[in-house]
Formats: sequence, structure tokens, C-alpha cells
Amino acid sequence: MALVLTDEVSLPLRVIRDLKSEGLNEEEAVVVTQCGSLGGKLSFGDAFFGTVFVLLSKIDNLTDQWVSEISRVLKPGAQVLLQTLLLPDNQAKPSSQIERKLLISGFVDVQSTDGSQSVLVKGKKASWSTGSSFPLKKTAKVLPKIQLSDESDLIDEDSLLSEEDLKKPELPLVGDCEVGSTRKACKNCTCGRAEAEQKVEKLQLTAEQISNPQSACGNCGLGDAFRCGGCPYKGLPPFKLGEKVSFGGDFLAADI
Amino acid sequence: MEGKKKRLLVLYASQTGNAMDVAERVGREAERGGCPSVEVQSMDHFDPNTLPSESTVIFVVSTTGQGDPPDTMKVFWRFLLKRNLGSSWLEGLHYAVFGLGDSGYQKYNFAAKKLDKRLQDLGAKPIIEKGLGDDQHPSGYEGALDPWLMSLWKTLNHVNSTILPEMSEILHPSMNKLEHPKFKIMYHASSEVVQHDSHISDLKDMKNMIERARSMSPSLHGHDHGEPHYLLKMVTNKQLSKGDDGRDVRQFVLEPLASVVEYQVGDVLEVLPGQNPAFVDAFIKRCKLDPDSYITIEPWSGERDAMDSYVNGSSDHPIQLRTFVSRAMDVASASPRRYFFEVMSYYASAEHEKEKLQFFASPEGRDDLYQYNQKEHRTVLEVLEDFPSVELPFEWLVQLVPPLKKRLFSISSSPLAHPNQVHLTVSVVSTMTPLKRRRYGLCSSWLASLDPNKNEEVLVPSWIHRGTLPPPPPMLPLILIGPGTGCAPFRAYIEERAMQNLVESTAPILFFFGCRNRDSDFLYQDFWLAHSSDDGILSEEKGGGFYVAFSREQERKVYVQHKIREQSARVWGLLNAGAAIYLAGSSTKMPADVTEALEEVVAKESGVSREAAARWLKTLEKAGRFNIETWS
Repeated sequence: MALVLTDEVSLPLRVIRDLKSEGLNEEEAVVVTQCGSLGGKLSFGDAFFGTVFVLLSKIDNLTDQWVSEISRVLKPGAQVLLQTLLLPDNQAKPSSQIERKLLISGFVDVQSTDGSQSVLVKGKKASWSTGSSFPLKKTAKVLPKIQLSDESDLIDEDSLLSEEDLKKPELPLVGDCEVGSTRKACKNCTCGRAEAEQKVEKLQLTAEQISNPQSACGNCGLGDAFRCGGCPYKGLPPFKLGEKVSFGGDFLAADI
Repeated sequence: MEGKKKRLLVLYASQTGNAMDVAERVGREAERGGCPSVEVQSMDHFDPNTLPSESTVIFVVSTTGQGDPPDTMKVFWRFLLKRNLGSSWLEGLHYAVFGLGDSGYQKYNFAAKKLDKRLQDLGAKPIIEKGLGDDQHPSGYEGALDPWLMSLWKTLNHVNSTILPEMSEILHPSMNKLEHPKFKIMYHASSEVVQHDSHISDLKDMKNMIERARSMSPSLHGHDHGEPHYLLKMVTNKQLSKGDDGRDVRQFVLEPLASVVEYQVGDVLEVLPGQNPAFVDAFIKRCKLDPDSYITIEPWSGERDAMDSYVNGSSDHPIQLRTFVSRAMDVASASPRRYFFEVMSYYASAEHEKEKLQFFASPEGRDDLYQYNQKEHRTVLEVLEDFPSVELPFEWLVQLVPPLKKRLFSISSSPLAHPNQVHLTVSVVSTMTPLKRRRYGLCSSWLASLDPNKNEEVLVPSWIHRGTLPPPPPMLPLILIGPGTGCAPFRAYIEERAMQNLVESTAPILFFFGCRNRDSDFLYQDFWLAHSSDDGILSEEKGGGFYVAFSREQERKVYVQHKIREQSARVWGLLNAGAAIYLAGSSTKMPADVTEALEEVVAKESGVSREAAARWLKTLEKAGRFNIETWS
């Protein structure tokens, strides 16, 4: 069973017969005209038709809703053919516009032919439904064609990169004075490096050091910017010598 | 050179503010060197059509984790890629490029590398070779910037000594001459001011006040988006992760008060975090400011700067100082930059503080500064408390304190399933610094602190933005890969399709999730399982599937890419049927690992070579059918 759908008011029978050359070879065909006034719905059940032909005088009449509806009434794996007349003041490449609409709605194997007076676009409804098997294509060595939207006015930016650029980058060399500190851990380190990096040699503070802090070098109370490398008070806010040290909001008592 | 602008232009494309900081430093050094005319501009405020009329341009561009240029560079870059520009379009332009990147990523500094090559192809001449800043370097990007910048000035000076007539100031900075701040603060009598702020009688007033405060901030550079679209209330704050490995992932449900929130799946919610009032008060006290005074901010010279078109009639709407600090200045989270320390050194009255600050600001002290400041995630408040003798005028604070930034979250609900609600899936960020200080992410921890049961209404100022991808139509088959919080946008897609499936036929979905183990962080477990049984849209009966990789439930690590390989026939079947692939998550390596697995699947199932499979996936990406969204 085939469906011929058009936005025209009427279709000469000749047109239907001409569709035979496009593959309309079924005994039964249903013709629906003036589809623009149907509110985007057809009165047929799901997966009813083996082929759908769409003859459009205005591309804008092919709304997303119509493409969905066409898909609904098509059997899985069945074909849709759209033919549209080229009007003199038409925008360039109506076929790509139609292709895009089909692709976005899940049609596959979308191809078009641009004639001098009309364009023809074909597509297939996908067939993943329950029970159908996927073609293995193991020996075909052919990948599904992907249509790209029209960006041929831009150069391919990946062509700007050299062989050197594409190689895995070398990590920065580190001088002798930075013994032990080579690569930084990644932000989401999973190998344990981040944990290792955080191990810092730190003298534990005694209760005496907390309640009555003193400093031989004089810098311990000044804050991290001034403290020596091995200062036991490193990480704490600044404090006054002799006064009990506060820990700020970060420290849990259990850490000490 | 006839018709060419005689200025030095510094154009930057910044994602998190680092490139902007570098660009400002380049401009500042040029000015110190006596350059007669210097301008620093963000690339998205620059018309690429006018590029041929420039004589000297320094480009500073960051590269994001996936090898992309920053958002502010997209339009400019697209223009430069036009085929019809020709190889002499930029003849007579002298330029230099400095890139900020991370050599831990395969696509290291790609934006800068591509820009440098394209500029040459268009006829521009490089002054010196491109400089590549690297986060992996012990002192970050400054490790490459310092020598590169010196080489740039020397070469420029050599070619044309009129560009930098006071070159000696750059080579041997005297460190006792500070330029003036870029802005001045005007104080207004409270009698002058229409009493907006003390009577926040309704939500409209609050939204307006937030907009006025932020539009006045020069550091936000007119990149802010006006009034919040919504002030949302937290109605649910639920911890999704259990277990004591310290990971805290929450589900937040937000509702608007007295309005309707409109959005579609794939959209993002942008949130302005609140700051702890105690910290705001401590900052104001430390800086000896009057919280109740009313201020406006004007450009220093009184003339509008061409690019600083941030202030629109601000003198008509003074704002209370405390409101400005609380809404526009990040006082207790973001770390200040090197220039902050340099300016502080001029205002330090204690000798040992002055010396230390000058050291931190110098090239010799760069690594030490990195250890003290960036690695420890020092906040502005902490730095000011560590240097108590420094009295910085408010003008400088306004210019140098990092701006309070809004944060973006993928929305994890469908409006069809949860009308008038926005759901978020958020990991409360927490890191341990080398000195064992625990730092929490400002926005995630603030949201986590909001208690729906408390009476006082703390509202979340929010904006809804379109996501980068349009919502998938119901008949488009989907392959979704979202380990951890990467599942957030996919919960929305799946909810939406489940609702659509009630009234129309929909295409199947394959969803790959990953987490550590089912007892601790199997986020939304019941939700996924409900949809993958009983002929649900994630069920195998319907052509879909739901597969989880539990990384720590067995000896060896199992991740989403392993699951993808296991299901290679199903993945290939859907791809063959026109499926689109969406990948989301927060890991640096995951996208590359998943892409590799997909290449293997394509090669294995179709019989083509790995290279052909990789090329096919690249084409899929260009066609918008392979989308990667990651966040850090």
C-alpha cells in the first residue's frame, strides 16, 4: 500500500502514473491532497504504508510535525520520497533543508538529486523495532554516510595543526632544584598521585604549642607567607605569640 | 603604513579569567615601557572586520580541556576561518600569540596553535614565536610568560624603538612607581539615594538590586546578564551518595516564588552564590570601609573608555557598599592574582611585609607565590589577614578583588515530568591543599547549606540559558554516556522521553552510567532501573539498554568504556539507525577513553580500519551527532 501526499489542491492522474518510474509499483495507492489544512495528522494507523510519496509545491509546508507523522505511518525500513518543484525565486539548495528535517527525525539513508526543475529527496525509516535484527555488514567495509550541514565556506581548522602538534605533548622539564616535584596530579586523579602529593612532612603540635606558642625565629606567628619550610604552625592563620592559637574554620580537632 | 592604527592592541579570549589577567599584564608593561597607545580588549567585543586596519596585535588565548577555544572567541574564530579572506588579508599586521593550556591534555594549546598558523596563512607576520603557557609547569603559565614577554619587548624595541621609548622601565622596573587605579569611587549622601536597598519589599526589588550591584563592577566587564530571571527557593536538598569516602553528591529541587519557570531539557541553570555574611563583614572591617555608605564607580579619567562600556548611567543609582561587596566581590573563595600582591606592596607599611610582597610579585618569587597562593587556594581575606599592615584604598580593591562569579549547572529534570521545578545534581566540591587545609567550592557548598525546612527564605538568584545542544526529537535514537554527575542532563532527557512515550512513538535510548559501587554512589538507582524494566524506554525489549560500570566492586577497574565495548553490537545497531551520541561528565580522561572505545566498536562491527572509524566519528562530531560536554 502506498501513500501519495501533496499540499496541492488537486493532482492530475498523470502525475501518479509518472511516479511508477520512481518506484511506485504497488497495486493500491491512496492520495491525500491539501495536506496543509489537515493539522499535521493522518487518519491511518502506525506502520500502515510500504512507501510514501510527498509532492510539495511549498517546502515550508513540510513541518517537523508532518515528518513525524509520515514516519509514523511508514513501515519500519520502508521508503519515503519527496519531490518538490523549484520556483525561480527559491533559496539555494532546498534539498539540504529537507534532508536535515528527515535526518533529525530519525530517517536514514537520506539522499537527494537536484534536477533543473525539481529536487527529489529519498529516505528510509529506521528499523530497530522489536525483533528485527541488525545487518552485520562485516564484509561490506562501508560506513553509513553522514550528511554535514553546509559549512563549505569555512576552511577545515584541523588542517592548521602540524604533525608535531598532534603528537602527545611532552611534559615540562624540571630543574634540579625541584627534586621530587615533576608532574602535577590531574584534577580527577584516580591513580593515587594526588593523595601522595598531599603528604607533607609536618611536625605535630603539642598542647603546649597551641596554648602558648613561642617562636625562636620570630616568624611562626606571622602567617604562611613568612613561615619557614618546616614550621609546625604551617597552614594556620596568623597569631600573637603567647596567645592561644585559633584554627580557623578548616581544622577539625581530631586532626591534631 | 597608511591607514593603519598606530596603537598596540592586546586581544584576549579568556574562559576563567587567566588569559584576561595575562592580557592586562601585557598592556600594563607596555604602558610602563612608555608605549604611546595601548588598548586591551576581549575578543568578543572586537569586530574582526577591522583587524586588517591594525598594525600590531598581541593575542592571548586559552584552550579548554577538550581543545576548544573559549566561548568569547567562537565568533571571532569562525570569521577567521572563512575561505574567502585570502592570503594577503592581514598583510602589514605584526602579531604575537601567547596561549594558556595544559600539557596533560592531548589537545594541548590547540586554540593558540591554530590561531598562530591561521594568522600567518592570512598574511600577518609574527614578531616572535608563539608562547605556550602550561598549567603542568611548576609555576603554571607564568613559567613560560615571563621569558616570552621579555623576548617580545626586546624584539619590538629592536625593530622600532619608538614603540617602547622607556624600555628600561621594563628591563629594570624601579618598583616605586605605581600607576593609578582604573576607577574612582564616588560616595553619595544617603539623602540623595532612593531607598531601594533597605526596603527589599518584594522579589522585583531584589532582582533589580542584584543587577545594579553587578553592572557596576568593572571586573565583570559587561559580561553579566542583567537581572536574575528567577529567585528560586530550595524545596528539596537530598544527599544522593552514601558512604564515608567523603563524596557528597546532592539533588537540589528549586521552585520559583510567585512565577513560573520555563525551560527545556538540555538547558543550564546559572546561579549567583551567596557569601557567608561573616566573611563579608570581616572583609569590610579589615579594609576599614563603611558598609552603609552609598557608592558609584566611575572610570578614573572621567571619559568613557571604548571597551569598558560596563557602566550605564550608574551615577543615577548609587548602591550600598555592603551590597556591592556581597554581590559582586569574591572575598572568601577565589584567589587574587600576582598584580594584587604587587599593588599591596606599595601600601604595606611594615618593612618585612613590603619585602615579602615585592618578592612575591617578582619573577624570582613566582614559584613561591604559586605555592603560597594558588596551591593553597588563598582567599583575598586570608591574604589581607596575613599582611595586616597593608591598607588598600577601595579603588584598588574594586579593581583587583576577583569578581563573584556565577556558576553553571546542567538541569537534570524535564519540565514535562516536573512542571515548575528545576532539579540539579551537584557534587559538593572539596579539595585538600598541600598544607592540609580543606577548601570547599563556594557555590556547591552554599547550595548544600540551604535548608528547605528553615523558615528564613534564602533565595537562589538564577538565570536559565539554552544549552549548547537542542533537545533531541522523540524519534532520534540516543546513546548516552554519563558517569558520575555526568548523568545529570541525561536524567532530564530520559524523563522527557518517558513522558513523550505516553502519547507518541519514541526511539530507544542506550544509557551507560558509571560509579564506584552500588552502595555508595549509584545516583538515581531506582529511576534508571524503573525505566529499564517493564518495557520502559531504557529496556532492551524496546531496543534500548541501561549498563552500569562499578569501578571499585572488583579487583580490576571497570569503567563506562568497558561496558561500551561489551555492548558493541547494540551500540553499532543504533549508530547504524542514525543515533546521536551524547557524552557528559567531569573527568579529564574519560572523553578520550570513551572515544577510543567507540572507534573500536565501529571498526569491529563494520569491518573498517581504526583510522577510518576515527575519521567517521570525527565527521559525526562535525554533523552534530557526537556531542561532548565536560566540566571540571
